[in-house]
Amino acid sequence: MMDWKYKGTCWKFGDNLGIDGDVMPLRFALERELDPTILKSHLMTGVDPEFPSKVSTGDIIVAGKRFGQGNPHIQGFLGMIGHNLGLVVESIPRGSFRNAINAGLPFLAGCENVTNLVETGDLLEVDFKTGDFQNLSQKTSHKFEPVDEQLQNIIEAGGWKPNLEKRLSRLSG
Amino acid sequence: MGKTITEKIFSRVTGKDVIAGDIVFPEPEIITVHDWYVVNFDSALEELGINKLYDPDKLIISTDHEPIAVSLQAAERQKKVREIVKKYGIKNFFDTGRGGHGHVFPVEMGLIKPGMFVEAYDVHVTNFGSVGALAIPVLIEITEVLACGSVWLKTPETVRVNLNGKMSLGTTIRDIAQKIINDLGADLVDYAVVEFGGSAMGSISIDQRHILCNTPIDIGAKSALVEPDQVTLDYLSNRVDGPLELISSDLDAKFREVVDYNLDSIEPQIATPPTPDCVVNISEVLGKKVHHAFIGSCAAPTLSDLEIAGKIIEGHKIHPDVRFIITPGTQEVMGKAQKLGLLNLFSEAGAMITPPGCGPCAGGRIGGLASGETSINTGTRNDYGRLGASDSEIYLGSAATVAASAIKGEIADPRDFLS
Repeated sequence: MMDWKYKGTCWKFGDNLGIDGDVMPLRFALERELDPTILKSHLMTGVDPEFPSKVSTGDIIVAGKRFGQGNPHIQGFLGMIGHNLGLVVESIPRGSFRNAINAGLPFLAGCENVTNLVETGDLLEVDFKTGDFQNLSQKTSHKFEPVDEQLQNIIEAGGWKPNLEKRLSRLSG
Repeated sequence: MGKTITEKIFSRVTGKDVIAGDIVFPEPEIITVHDWYVVNFDSALEELGINKLYDPDKLIISTDHEPIAVSLQAAERQKKVREIVKKYGIKNFFDTGRGGHGHVFPVEMGLIKPGMFVEAYDVHVTNFGSVGALAIPVLIEITEVLACGSVWLKTPETVRVNLNGKMSLGTTIRDIAQKIINDLGADLVDYAVVEFGGSAMGSISIDQRHILCNTPIDIGAKSALVEPDQVTLDYLSNRVDGPLELISSDLDAKFREVVDYNLDSIEPQIATPPTPDCVVNISEVLGKKVHHAFIGSCAAPTLSDLEIAGKIIEGHKIHPDVRFIITPGTQEVMGKAQKLGLLNLFSEAGAMITPPGCGPCAGGRIGGLASGETSINTGTRNDYGRLGASDSEIYLGSAATVAASAIKGEIADPRDFLS
């Protein structure tokens, strides 16, 4: 069973981060690189070149509206998997929503105003299964709508390909 | 609370009470994939160790993007597609010279029925909405559908568009379709099904409905369909065996928005570079010199497109500086155009006829554009580089406008040729 509860440092970003460029350099999408251990070294370098060396496992990215906008490429989300991060955003375009599921990333979307509830460096505890969101540094807590349970099953399986393999073995079994 | 057509179709195929926003795994009744993606899905399945499809009888494969192989690579791909079809035992394979455009001939052949649920690799499968089917493109996740029978979808909301009134002479359904996507805008239709109805529909043919359902996907709609009616039944009566059921949205269904259009006052519309929703009245671009003209693609695949072009071209020659390419959508359309004398009329005027399928619109592999050239055509998209050189320009319009422009060598008003 995957642990849906993440406790870690908050890394806060603004609105309209582009999936290509801001979240992950475009060249990895063009090269169809899908290895999280390679992609993790380039995560968020479009907005913070030091990010991959500062972030730790279990940390949580909190961002504003239209996170991952642009041509839907999965590489940015796989980079987050490489660091074992969680993601909480105010909104996410549908192509990137689908890619976050397919990457197997625990995330909360549609979290209105969340960027006003945190600062970079705050200690957060987020339960991605229930939507419980606690800012331990500021001693506040909030409840957001979690991702649909059927989609949580895909994340639990590890993303698109492992989930498809599970479906196939169920079908043949 | 009542339901939209989309909610009813999703409820029927999942056996659940589904409303917009619900995440479901609806099983399509038909799946379509075109010649350029067959090798890809086969490789993806091989990688997963899969050697059989969930239900090969649901799958329609059509050779429409490159029916005439113009390179060794294309010939090799066609060979590989034929091998893959045999390997999985796919019966509904419409190879080059058989069906034609995969978004069109399944409707003509009566394979698509009102209320049916379809999934496809390619985005413009939404043409199946012309007979009231809901067809949703899932791009590369078609692999999961082929292997497991379904893939998750969020049930889309619906934007209802009511068309009223009557189109004036020289204005065609393509002009209406372009005006609608320009007016609605990407924000309103994002992830929604655009459902067409209204008092004008009784005079809008299935041919024309293909075009209405073709354009909304280009601004981010999930799909588009026409509420099926007597026109649908009349069209399908000698194409489909067995009874047909009409489906409509309930009076108290919840729509994201309801938009009413009066067709009377809409003039010919042109989409200017670089996207299909940069639409202006034709008067703003009249006189723009063109080198290339093309009628065809899934946005103008039917006999009615060729008929209006024929009306305009009759008695004229194509301008000496223009190369004019015509691609009938399907084998059936080609045959009918032949019988009506249209192919003869076009070739005598100086046009070229290609085999049925996508024609140049499939990335300009045939009949493309050189640098600095301008095209007026009925294709689906006008991104820079779509038909060849990255600095060539594409203007999109109706078959009538393209025909008039091919004669004059510049963007021309079709109303000048009709009376």
